[in-house]
Amino acid sequence: MPQQFDFPRSPVPIKLNPKTAYLIMGLLVVLWLASGIFTVAQDEEGVVLRFGKLIEVVQPGLHYHFPSPIEMVSIQSTTKIYREEIGFRTRDSGPPAQYRKVPHEALMLTGGLNIIDVEMVVQYRVSSIVDALFSVRNLGVFDRRAGAGLVHDASETALRQVIGRHAIDEALTEGKVIIQAEIKEQLQELFTKYKCGLTVESVQLQTVGPPQQVDDAFKDVASAKEDRERRVNEARGYQNDIIPKARGEAQKEILKAEGYKVERVRRAQGDADRFLAVFREYKKAPAVTEKRLYLETMESVLPGLKKYIIKSDANGSLLNILNLEGVGRIGKEGQ
Amino acid sequence: MRGVIGILIGFFAVVFAANLVFFQVIEYEQAVVTQFGKVRTVITEPGLYFKLPTPIQKVTTFEKRMLDYDADANSIYTKDKKILILDNYARWRIVDPLLFMQKLRTEREALARLDDIVYSELRKELGQHELVDVVATNRSAIMKLVTERSDVAARQFGISVVDVRVKRADLPPENEAAVFSRMRAERAREAKTYRSEGEEEALKIRAETDLESATIAAEAYETAERTRGEGDAEALGIYASAYRGAEEFFEFTRTLEAYGKALDENTVLVQPLDTDFFKYLQGAR
Repeated sequence: MPQQFDFPRSPVPIKLNPKTAYLIMGLLVVLWLASGIFTVAQDEEGVVLRFGKLIEVVQPGLHYHFPSPIEMVSIQSTTKIYREEIGFRTRDSGPPAQYRKVPHEALMLTGGLNIIDVEMVVQYRVSSIVDALFSVRNLGVFDRRAGAGLVHDASETALRQVIGRHAIDEALTEGKVIIQAEIKEQLQELFTKYKCGLTVESVQLQTVGPPQQVDDAFKDVASAKEDRERRVNEARGYQNDIIPKARGEAQKEILKAEGYKVERVRRAQGDADRFLAVFREYKKAPAVTEKRLYLETMESVLPGLKKYIIKSDANGSLLNILNLEGVGRIGKEGQ
Repeated sequence: MRGVIGILIGFFAVVFAANLVFFQVIEYEQAVVTQFGKVRTVITEPGLYFKLPTPIQKVTTFEKRMLDYDADANSIYTKDKKILILDNYARWRIVDPLLFMQKLRTEREALARLDDIVYSELRKELGQHELVDVVATNRSAIMKLVTERSDVAARQFGISVVDVRVKRADLPPENEAAVFSRMRAERAREAKTYRSEGEEEALKIRAETDLESATIAAEAYETAERTRGEGDAEALGIYASAYRGAEEFFEFTRTLEAYGKALDENTVLVQPLDTDFFKYLQGAR
């Protein structure tokens, strides 16, 4: 009974032609219907809900849904690689990129109850938009709030659980790759358990280091390693210096001996040849040669000597030279 | 004109009436319909539903998704009387909306109850493990147990505890300082080891070098002396073979030669006249 409603007359009379009114209403209806047209971009997927119930997952392209409140649509990027940061936040992706450390996330206990400083980046993508939208509240993917949500919690849990199983030295050095793989596996396990429709693409440990409180001690280890190398190198230097010298010295010694040998042999040969030559001649006239050689020797030897020539007495004693100058000493000493 | 207004009014009336009697349950929701406070139906499937207008029938919707519960960090004693600061989270969902509505009504209430349940289970379980166990070896097994027990305890409220996890397990600041000083000591030891190893290696290399150089020198001496000996021997042989059969002449000439070398101006020669050389000084015999 619409006639019973009595609307107050508007001060300005509405001169609305009923036809125009119908036209406007029709236009509104058309606009309402048209509001159901939507596009899904190449990297996206959409879900269509009819009265709240999921009826369709739509792929990229132009689509239509019955307008609100009959149907609703939610479109999210599913090919995009999402990124979760643990232990730090990117303040400005730059360039140059700027980061902020989050110490309470980055510092954690290792297997041997040491404390280590780890920063990690998890990359993941949405593998099921339906699960991602409807199975977990506060997932932390589409409703980004850095440092909150399931993805962040699960990443942190996986990181700490795996780091807790490893010794600090493993994490700092060669174990890094293994640890990354373990974290990835652990995180994927959690995602699967929560049926949240996410797939881990990669886990990267950005910086793994000792906490700053003990950083200098770790650096000293590194410099100790260098010291070790240095000491060894110095010793090798000594070795490289000494051994060639010793070899040279040895070579010199050996060659000197060779020289000696050659000299000895050649000289001997010379001596022998000389002797034999003389001997050959001697044999031709032994007596006179002997005499001649004797006299020649005396001739050359005697001039340089102090000589006392005495007449020997009958028994050949030397008493008669006692008073001779210079020889007296011999006599005195003799007493 | 009237017709137009009529249509509009009719439209809004229909919408208004629809709003009174129809309601949506969205994909991630579940709902309980009560009539004057008494439960009529529990709806777990999404879609459009009909009810009698409020105040006769009322709809209460609940989350169907997995929900989070992030507890504040708590200190917990382990079996070896050490304190661990645990920051844990739990994931839970409302599995029985009816029970949930009767016992808890709101999520706030549920979180308070979860806090009690999870924390007490954690404390109970961690009290039976040593610190190392919790941090390193057994963490996932421990948390699985805690999850299962919390789940059992929470079921009476229409809640299922899906997972309880330790997000962070840290030591209190005092203990941290001890850990840092232990780490320092360990590293200092390591550094010392490296330096000593360097020293060891260097000493070894130097000693080996000295040994090698001594060996080289000694071998050289050996070779040199042998060579000299060979020279001497060969010379000896040459002399011997030259003088064989000429012993007398050799003695004679060699003696003469030796005179030349042995006698000099310091030699005093006392010679009787009746020697061969001076025999002519006495006049002819």
